[in-house]
Amino acid sequence: MTDLTSAIAIRAEGLAKTFHDPQRGVVEAVKGVDLDCRKGEIFGLLGPNGAGKTTTLRMLSTILAPTSGRALIDGIDVAEDPLEVRRRLGFLSGSTGLYPRLTGRETLRYFGRLHGLEGDRLEAAIARAFDAFDLHSFGDGRCEALSTGQKQRVSIARAVLHDPPVLILDEPTTGLDIMASSDMIQFIDSRREAGTCVLFSTHILSEAERLCDRIGIVYDGRMLAGGSLDELRAMTGKEWLEEIFRELVQRADAGEGAA
Amino acid sequence: MSSAPRKTAGAGVLRAALAVAHKELGESFRDRQTLLYTFVLPLCMYPAMFWIMVQGVLVVQGQKQARDVTIGVVAAAETAEAAREQLAVNEEGRGRIEVIALPPDTPQETQVIAGLIEAEEADALLFHPAERDDADPAALFFDSTSSQSETARGRVVSALEQWTAELRQEAADARDIDPEALEPILVQTRKVNPSKDDGALVLSLLLPMLLVVMCVLGAFFPAVDLTAGEKERQTAETTLLLPIPRLGLHLGKIFAVCATSMIAATLNLLALGLSAGHLLGQLAGLGDGAPKVELPLGALISIAPLAALFAFFVSAALTGVASLAATFKEGQALLGPVQMLFMLPAMATNLPGMELTATTAWIPVVNVSLAFRGLLVGSASAGPLLICALSLTASALLAIWFSVRLLSSEEVSLSSETIPMARLFRILRSR
Repeated sequence: MTDLTSAIAIRAEGLAKTFHDPQRGVVEAVKGVDLDCRKGEIFGLLGPNGAGKTTTLRMLSTILAPTSGRALIDGIDVAEDPLEVRRRLGFLSGSTGLYPRLTGRETLRYFGRLHGLEGDRLEAAIARAFDAFDLHSFGDGRCEALSTGQKQRVSIARAVLHDPPVLILDEPTTGLDIMASSDMIQFIDSRREAGTCVLFSTHILSEAERLCDRIGIVYDGRMLAGGSLDELRAMTGKEWLEEIFRELVQRADAGEGAA
Repeated sequence: MSSAPRKTAGAGVLRAALAVAHKELGESFRDRQTLLYTFVLPLCMYPAMFWIMVQGVLVVQGQKQARDVTIGVVAAAETAEAAREQLAVNEEGRGRIEVIALPPDTPQETQVIAGLIEAEEADALLFHPAERDDADPAALFFDSTSSQSETARGRVVSALEQWTAELRQEAADARDIDPEALEPILVQTRKVNPSKDDGALVLSLLLPMLLVVMCVLGAFFPAVDLTAGEKERQTAETTLLLPIPRLGLHLGKIFAVCATSMIAATLNLLALGLSAGHLLGQLAGLGDGAPKVELPLGALISIAPLAALFAFFVSAALTGVASLAATFKEGQALLGPVQMLFMLPAMATNLPGMELTATTAWIPVVNVSLAFRGLLVGSASAGPLLICALSLTASALLAIWFSVRLLSSEEVSLSSETIPMARLFRILRSR
C-alpha cells in the first residue's frame, strides 16, 4: 500500500471548478473529479468538447485554482505550493504556445534558465534536446516561421528540457498533420519507459486505445468511469472504446451512476 | 515568516521579474511597431521633420523675396514720381518693385481698393499725402489673405523706412543738426538674459509635453503586446506555467513595458533637443537675438528619477488596462482613451501661468511636466519637487497594484473575450 501511494504522481480528490459567466451565470465546469495516475503510467482523459478536460488539466498544472477539492502533483499540493508543482511539471497543448519571436534555441534557453539550469548544464540539456527531437535544421529560426510539426517538436523539447516527473498534455495532437501526430504519439509512448507519469486529454478514441494504460471518461464535468480498457469493458459489457463511451454517457444522461 | 525567508522570497521575485523583463524586451524589440515608436521615430523623424521644416521655410522665404510686386501709388503727380524713384529700387536677389501711378482721385475706400487688388491692378496701394507736412499719414492698403499682397506690403514698408531715413537726413543736413534730434524719443530694447535662456524657454514648451507623450507612446504597444497580444498568440498558458512566482512574472512584464517607455522618452528628448538646437539656430540665421538652443543635459539628468517614476506609473496603468483585452486590436482600442488621460493634462501645462507649486506638485502627470519645465528654466524648488516625487511614487505603486491585481485574475489572464470596463471593479474587489 505504501509503495502504491508513493508511486502516485498525480492525485485529484473532489476537484471542482466554478466560473462566473456574465451570460450564463454560474458555470460548474468541473464537478468533483477524482483520479490517480502513477509514475510510468499513461492516463488518458477522454471526453467530448466542453466536458471539463482542459479545466481539469489547468487546475492540476496550477494555471487555474480549484474552487474546491484537492490536487497533488508528485506529492505536492497545487494550492499550497504551486511554484514547486510547476517545477516538476511539463505541460504541452495542441496550440504549442511558443513565443513566436523567439527562436527554438532561445525558447529552450529561457525555460531552462527559469527551471534552474545554468551554464554548461543548460547548454548540454539544449544540445540533448536538439539531438533527441532533431531540431538542428530549424531550431535557430524564429518559431513564427516554423511549420506546425516543427513547432510541436520545439514545444515537446521545451516541456521535457528539465526532465519533469509529470507530463500533462492537453489535446496534444489537435491540429497536427499525420506525421506530426504520429511523432507525438511515439513521444508519449516513449515517456512510459522513462518512468514519467503522463496525463493527457483527447477526444480521439484510437489515440486513447493505443496509448493509455488507464482511461478516464469525462462528461459534463464529471469522471464517469476510470480504469484500464479491460476494466472499462467489464464495467460496461462493451468491447470497443467508442461503445464503452456511448454506454457510459447514456447512463449518465439517464441519471445512473457509472463507476 | 521570518525576515530571512522573506528576503529570499523577495529576491526570487525580483530575479524572476528581471528574467521575464529581459525576455519580453528582447521579444518587443523584434516587433516592428515597438521598434518604430521606440527607435526609428526619435532617431530619424525629428531630424528629418526639422530639416524639412527649415528647408521649407527657407524656400518659401526665398520665393517671396524673388517675387516681382506691383505697387499702386495714389498721389499728386510730382509725389508719385518721387515715390516711383524711391520704391522701385532693384536689389540683387530680390524681385522688382513696379510702381504705377493711379488717379489721384482714387477713393480711399476699402471695397474699391480690394477690387483693384483682386483685379490684379496692383498688389498693394500706397496713398501718399500731397504735402510732406500734411497732417494725414501715408496709408498702405493690402490684402492679408493674399501671399502676393502680403509680400508687397513687406517690400513697401521696408523701402518706405529707407526713404524716411533719407528724408530725415536731408532735413537734418538743411538745419545742420544731428538726424537723431528729429526723433523725439529713441528707444533701443536690450535683453538682460543670455540668449541661451530663450533657448531653454523654447525647449520648456516642447520637452515636458514630449516627455509625457513619449512615455505613453513608448509604453503603448509593449503594454498591448505583452497582455492582449499574448492571449491572441495563445502563449498566455505557457507563460502562466513558468516556474516562477506569479508576482515576479507580472512585475517582469511591467518592467519590460517601463524600460521601453523610458528608452523611447530618452531617445526622443535627446533627438529633439539636439535637432532643435541645430536646426532652430539655422532657421534664425544665428543672429545675435536668435535663441541659442543647447541640449539641457543638467535638466535631463535632474528629471530622470521623476521621469522613471512616471514611466512606472504609465506602464503599469497601461499594462493593467490592456490586459482586459482579448486581442491586440481591442487592446489598442481600450488604450486609446486611456492615453488621452495622460496626454491632455500634459498639454494643459502649456497654459499661461501654470507652474510647479506645492499644489500642482500633487497632481500626477501635470506635476512631472511642470517639474521638467521648472528644471529647464531654472525655477524649480526643492519642496514642490519632493512632493512631486511622493505623488509619483504613490501613483506608480497604485498603478502596479492595479495591474498585478488584474493580471493575477484568472478571468483576465485566460479570457477569450475582452472584459468590459464595467466588470473592472468587480475583478479588483474579488479575492
